[in-house]
Amino acid sequence: MSLVNITGLHKHYGPNHVLKGVDLTVRQGDVVTLIGRSGSGKSTLLRTINGLESFDQGSITLAGQTIGSRDAKALQQLRLQVGMVFQQFNLFPHLTVGENIMMSPRVVKGESPHILREEAHALLAKVGLADKFDAWPDQLSGGQQQRVAIARALAMKPQVLLCDEITSALDPELVNEVLAVVRQLAQEGMTLIMVTHEMRFARDVSNHVVFMHQGKIHEAGHPADLFSRPQTPELQNFVSAVM
Amino acid sequence: MNDFTLGDILLALLHGLQWTAILSLTAFVLGSLGGLIILALRLAHRPALVWLAKTFIEVFQGTPLLMQLFIVFFGLSLGGVEIPPWLAAALGLTLYTSAYLAEIWRGCVNAIPNTQWEGSAALALNRYQQMRHVILPQALRMAIAPTVGFLVQVVKGTSVASIIGFVELTKTGGMLANATFEPFLIYGLVAAGYFLLCYPLSLYSRHLERTLHVAR
Repeated sequence: MSLVNITGLHKHYGPNHVLKGVDLTVRQGDVVTLIGRSGSGKSTLLRTINGLESFDQGSITLAGQTIGSRDAKALQQLRLQVGMVFQQFNLFPHLTVGENIMMSPRVVKGESPHILREEAHALLAKVGLADKFDAWPDQLSGGQQQRVAIARALAMKPQVLLCDEITSALDPELVNEVLAVVRQLAQEGMTLIMVTHEMRFARDVSNHVVFMHQGKIHEAGHPADLFSRPQTPELQNFVSAVM
Repeated sequence: MNDFTLGDILLALLHGLQWTAILSLTAFVLGSLGGLIILALRLAHRPALVWLAKTFIEVFQGTPLLMQLFIVFFGLSLGGVEIPPWLAAALGLTLYTSAYLAEIWRGCVNAIPNTQWEGSAALALNRYQQMRHVILPQALRMAIAPTVGFLVQVVKGTSVASIIGFVELTKTGGMLANATFEPFLIYGLVAAGYFLLCYPLSLYSRHLERTLHVAR
């Protein structure tokens, strides 16, 4: 069953036409990776899915509901179902790790602090940070902060998780601990849409890879085919440059 | 010829100092409330409200405090509303303080990186919830030191209230200087009075700047 359905999506930044008619279908449990050179529109595409970017033309539906309304209530409804993890973690520095995870479910959904506390502890254990509940974000390494950010997004129980270059700001030795968490989520059946430069990871974990070029989906398919037999010269160049 | 003892002078100045302190405190408490309201308008997503707040801030930052007090005091009485000098002074200083605090605080809100807005938006917080739980708690921490620093300006600013006839520290000093023919002594004491109010505030502001920088 298709969970996210994007058709004919166009977006302009002033004179720049950054998305030129994108069509993409994501089914429940899919792990989709968006790859491409910087400026190809992959991050913009990802950010339209939870309304951080608006779009000019086309449509996005999530579980049958149409996205695109600029009204605040509709956006909030959408974001309740779409979680996001960012390149720079974006943890709240004035809150402890535990509070970072519990704040949104408490404030937005009004869930009880008692239950939230248990869930937060469970989520921290899941990302391998069981002992960090009372730590402050700036006491953690980048990899640990990013794992907290993943736990924080999961605390909202989203249907889809968007990952925007979540290992790009990490020191190389910290990349794997974050990717291991994402890999586990994928195995558990979480629907993931990721922008990443980790091609090996994309090949191993995703079941659909989308190569974006100049604001369009240039080539897409199963990673085994896409990486070993790229059809277009643009993807051939890209693959030989990054792998 | 001098009928005043130093004790008389000090007592009178202390009385004036008390009114200076009360006027400062009033301006600061009411000005903080006003500043919050102007800040809310300034950050609203409605062009008309933003324009209103901007205009208010520009007018009160772009004109001398003295003129503002004149306009409040004489303007209102021209319009048939007679208000005592202390009320005019409190009102004028409150408006002035509101404008400056709104601008100081807006600077602190703007200093919070956009990633904090995006991070909280992605967690489905609405604008009010973002402000209340993510942006303001961080901005507040940043704002404390400059806010206390601005309080020093307000304390010194209250001296212009003497010109519309409010008997605070400066006005008391002026009257005493005329009566005793000892302007140097009297105004020296007046200055010392302001220093007595402002210096602890400056120290406190510096202390806050040091400690809040490290604290979360």
